[in-house]
Amino acid sequence: MATTTWGWLVLAFPLLGTLSVAAGYRRLPGRSAGWIGTASVLLAFIASIGALLSLQGHVPAHRELVSSLWNYASTVGIDAQMSILVDPLSVFMILVVSGVSTLIHLYSISYLQDDRGYARFFSYLNFFVFAMLLLVLAGNFLVLIIGWAFVGAASYLLISFWYRRTTATRAGLKAFVINVVGDVGLVLGTYFIFKHTGTLDLLRTFHSAGAPVAFGAHHNHGDLVAGCVLLLVGAFAKSAQIPLHAWLPDAMEGPTPVSALIHAATMVTAGVYLIARMHVLFELAPAAQDVGAVVGAATLLIAGTIGLAQTDVKRIIAYSTMSQIGYMIMGVSVGAYAAGLFHLMTHAFFKALLFMAAGSLIAAMAGEQSLDRMGGFRRALPFTYGSFLIGGLALSGIPPFSGFFSKDEILLVTGERGGWHWALYVIGYMGAALTAIYTFRLIFRAFHGEPVPAARELEAGTPHHGAPSNPMTGEPEDTDVGFPGPTHTIAERALTMRVAMGALSVGAIGAGLIQIPKVDFLVTDFLRPSFADTSLYEPHTRNGLLVLGLVLGAALGLAGIALAYRLWVVRPGSAAAIGARLRPLWDLFVHKWYFDELTDALIVKPALRAGSFAQSTFERLFVDETLIGGTTALVRAGSAAVRAAQTGFVRYYAALLLVGVSGVGLYFLLQS
Amino acid sequence: MSAATGALLASVHLRGPHVDFAGLSPLIALLGGATLVLLAGLVRSRALRAHGTPMLALISLGAAAGLTIWQWGASKSIVSGALRIDALSLVLNLVLVAAGAGTVLLAWRSAGAREATGELYALLLTSLGGMSLLVAAQNTVALFVGLELLSIPLYVLCATDRSSVRHRREHSIESGLKYLIIGAVGSATLLYGIAMIYGATGATDFSAIAAALSSGSLASDPLTLTGIALCAAGLAFKASVAPFHQWTPDVYEGAPTPVTAFMAVATKVAALGVLLRFFDVALIEAQPSWGPALAALATITIVVGNVGALGQSSMKRMLAYSSVAQAGYMLAGVVVASQLGARATVFYLAAYMFMNMAAFAVVLVRERESDLGDSLQALAGLGRQRPLLAGSMTVSMLALAGIPATVGFAGKFYLIDAAVSGGYTWLGVVIVVGSMISLGYYLPVVAQMWMRAPAAAAARTEGLPALAGGSSELADAGPPAQGAEGPPTPEVALVALLAAAGAVFFGVIPQPLFDLVHGVGGALGGLF
Repeated sequence: MATTTWGWLVLAFPLLGTLSVAAGYRRLPGRSAGWIGTASVLLAFIASIGALLSLQGHVPAHRELVSSLWNYASTVGIDAQMSILVDPLSVFMILVVSGVSTLIHLYSISYLQDDRGYARFFSYLNFFVFAMLLLVLAGNFLVLIIGWAFVGAASYLLISFWYRRTTATRAGLKAFVINVVGDVGLVLGTYFIFKHTGTLDLLRTFHSAGAPVAFGAHHNHGDLVAGCVLLLVGAFAKSAQIPLHAWLPDAMEGPTPVSALIHAATMVTAGVYLIARMHVLFELAPAAQDVGAVVGAATLLIAGTIGLAQTDVKRIIAYSTMSQIGYMIMGVSVGAYAAGLFHLMTHAFFKALLFMAAGSLIAAMAGEQSLDRMGGFRRALPFTYGSFLIGGLALSGIPPFSGFFSKDEILLVTGERGGWHWALYVIGYMGAALTAIYTFRLIFRAFHGEPVPAARELEAGTPHHGAPSNPMTGEPEDTDVGFPGPTHTIAERALTMRVAMGALSVGAIGAGLIQIPKVDFLVTDFLRPSFADTSLYEPHTRNGLLVLGLVLGAALGLAGIALAYRLWVVRPGSAAAIGARLRPLWDLFVHKWYFDELTDALIVKPALRAGSFAQSTFERLFVDETLIGGTTALVRAGSAAVRAAQTGFVRYYAALLLVGVSGVGLYFLLQS
Repeated sequence: MSAATGALLASVHLRGPHVDFAGLSPLIALLGGATLVLLAGLVRSRALRAHGTPMLALISLGAAAGLTIWQWGASKSIVSGALRIDALSLVLNLVLVAAGAGTVLLAWRSAGAREATGELYALLLTSLGGMSLLVAAQNTVALFVGLELLSIPLYVLCATDRSSVRHRREHSIESGLKYLIIGAVGSATLLYGIAMIYGATGATDFSAIAAALSSGSLASDPLTLTGIALCAAGLAFKASVAPFHQWTPDVYEGAPTPVTAFMAVATKVAALGVLLRFFDVALIEAQPSWGPALAALATITIVVGNVGALGQSSMKRMLAYSSVAQAGYMLAGVVVASQLGARATVFYLAAYMFMNMAAFAVVLVRERESDLGDSLQALAGLGRQRPLLAGSMTVSMLALAGIPATVGFAGKFYLIDAAVSGGYTWLGVVIVVGSMISLGYYLPVVAQMWMRAPAAAAARTEGLPALAGGSSELADAGPPAQGAEGPPTPEVALVALLAAAGAVFFGVIPQPLFDLVHGVGGALGGLF
């Protein structure tokens, strides 16, 4: 079978899954919707492996294969085709996406049991997987934009999945609005790039980007810089980078598997993929690269500090996700393509694992997410605790867990760039220490210390169940459709959840071993054909820097854990004391660097104030009365005039006909 | 002796003119079909007549389509240069035949056809023959013959409503009469125009007219220009271009719905086809004179059509004004006199066929099922009762408004592109503004079907409200679809579904249509 056929199959299975679950939701008994959804994504994963094997059968120089299903429009200078591009980069992405998705579907089968929206959930989730695979397989800007928009829509649907929860619908709206800002960026960026290269096909774009097309040999690439910066806007919005990050913490309102899949492992890494995919263009626009690197570094540090001070379990992990994606964005922006994508993969494993474990923990608390009410779950939830520990160690970059190798590689390449990149290098290691602290703060506070009542009840065998309420606001809820179902499932009591978490644990522990400095370069070697045209790709490592980085990474991670242990286990309460002493700094972190307030003050409030001012003066007098009133009056008057002329009497028609003919005739006579 | 015999033999040997029957074959199929249908109307068995005549009509349409495809790729003048068989006429023939087939299906069980004498189909086929002649005409005489052959059966068709409802019958006759009178004025205007052009150039052949205009100062001669003006007005009448559109709402409303559908689609195809050929071939030299005039007419048409359609409560009247507006859009492709413009116009004509057929078919179904006739209220709640029909109507409305992923979007995009690259950017802006206004009357139709319930809305199962839209799980509790009243009309629903499917299919995959119209630009010789 041709390699691209495998690619089409990868797309076909989730699409079939979503359609069949959506069409048959009334007739699917029990958990069959979940199994159908899982099976379709599993088939996509198998097809991805097929694509991988088939791709490796080609010689490295011919591993970029394009297949077009049909031409959307190849006319008037546009070549919009429904085409996919199967190359090492896209195969790498589909493997990660479909693989992690399969496990998360499996987890959801039990986690969402008894939810009234069970079938809807799986049809949305399959739709998301389809959209994400479409995004990464796109061979044409048109398909890329479609996939990009579909992913945003799927994210909106899933964040607002419990659609009768006020907070969830508001979060969905917020995510959608910010994502649309990104979509606009992507579309405008595409326009500029199209203007420069005259083609929408990705490969042709890359080939012709370097060759000036319009203004002779001394082209300044202004279009490319504009295009790449606009692409970055799209990437930042999808990947929750500052200042377009505010939606991601709120997106935690969605069911926990959604957080694991979309807001940790796959969708939010789309920005990283985009920059890696467009690396040819970005290297021709160094200004855009620098913007990406600086924003990535800023995000990784700021998100890390915010993670220190939050108390909502899922939000802490969400800020950690922002921070880790900051590493990846920084990496692919400084040319550490293989390292950035390697980190994308390991992060997908350990972050999905952390979210799954958090989901189990939250289930044990019957939906409660606040760290302040948790504690001592170590004995009640042994499996969850173990998974959390593995995920946390990988996230903190402790050897030999996977995060250790991937994070250090990004920072190594950043350091090698020299110059002001050293600042990014330092920020990266500061972020690494912070990561260890906030991760183990979470683990120590939730699992160590005195067991809370819920944990005791669980140890005794009767899970804790209160009246359902919104964990954010305490509003009363019921368990019907539009709210979470009545059952809360912990991993200890559901086989599918344990299988999924177990598989991810293996990945979180061992995935780092496929790319160890000086030992093996599996990822680098595999991705090389996609990055054949860049000089930044080949590792030319300075040994000293390499050893320094590895030692520093491990030491900072361990130091962070030790500090967290001292603050939250040995002397609980000392953290609060430090917080009190550094009140301004602590407040800054608790209030998320006041980004929401800043957005509020800089954009929302002025817009509202300008709006209300304009409403009372400009709007009411000029727009309403003159423009709208005028236009509607004009249209209405026109409508009335047309109808008045439409008397139904032939003699009037004939008269108007004569007037018309005379008018046209007169015009022509004036021409002569 | 032998010489005398030879001369005798030579005189006996009949030498007819050379006729290219292959080129004429689609036309022969249509007109022959009309004759056969008339004859079949004499059969005694009523059931045979009722179903045999439309079958025959469909067969002759199929034959015409097949013969058109057989001629595909031809580029030749036939009948002493009176007709031209080329990409333009062949593509438009296909669109016409498709529209004709749709109309036959719509009319199958109509009140007019219940008399079952087959005249309806015979008239339809004759009119189609006239249209086929018109889009191929390349001299002014053939043009006029085609136009009359198209029009006269249509006048009769408009008056064929044999509905049991008296006021509908009267409306139908009124509309036929109105159409006849105004049509006569239009034809007369056109004939004057043709005569004046003949007087100025001494030619009836399009290419001869073009040659005459290209030499000397004839292109700015008052006689020529008056002739062009009168021709433009006469043809604008057929295409219902404002201010020659006034018959349209009245006639569309009064005529039986299948006939209205036929007029809306097929007449427009024929009229714009001949406008393309006449203006872009015969009068191409005078383009600087007529371009701005037609652009002004297009603008007036877009404004009048869109503004007039607002607030109409009759679907057929609304669609009539909408067809006026659409004619204005398509005129933009004629104005620019470029290959791109010709392709865009023909593309839009094909798109227009899909969009309008779906709309009229749904209107017809509701007209037969409910007492509300073609009013907007008749569509209320259709989304719950007949989701497929409502879906077809929705697609049709969205496509007419030019929403992406429908064929209307691709068509409008193409037209605007043609207008902009032809130096008429402002006309492109007018098209966009017109489309914006058009949402004001297309979307209420969609809202009527999906958001107004004929019955009370489904009771909620619990107290707390849904915040982000409804969910399918709740809809389970809703009442089952109400059974449709009236006779079953599977063939009409089929037309609606097929046309809507076409509108979506060619919206997602427009390339086949692009390929279809590709040759059209080259067919009109002198264009760049």
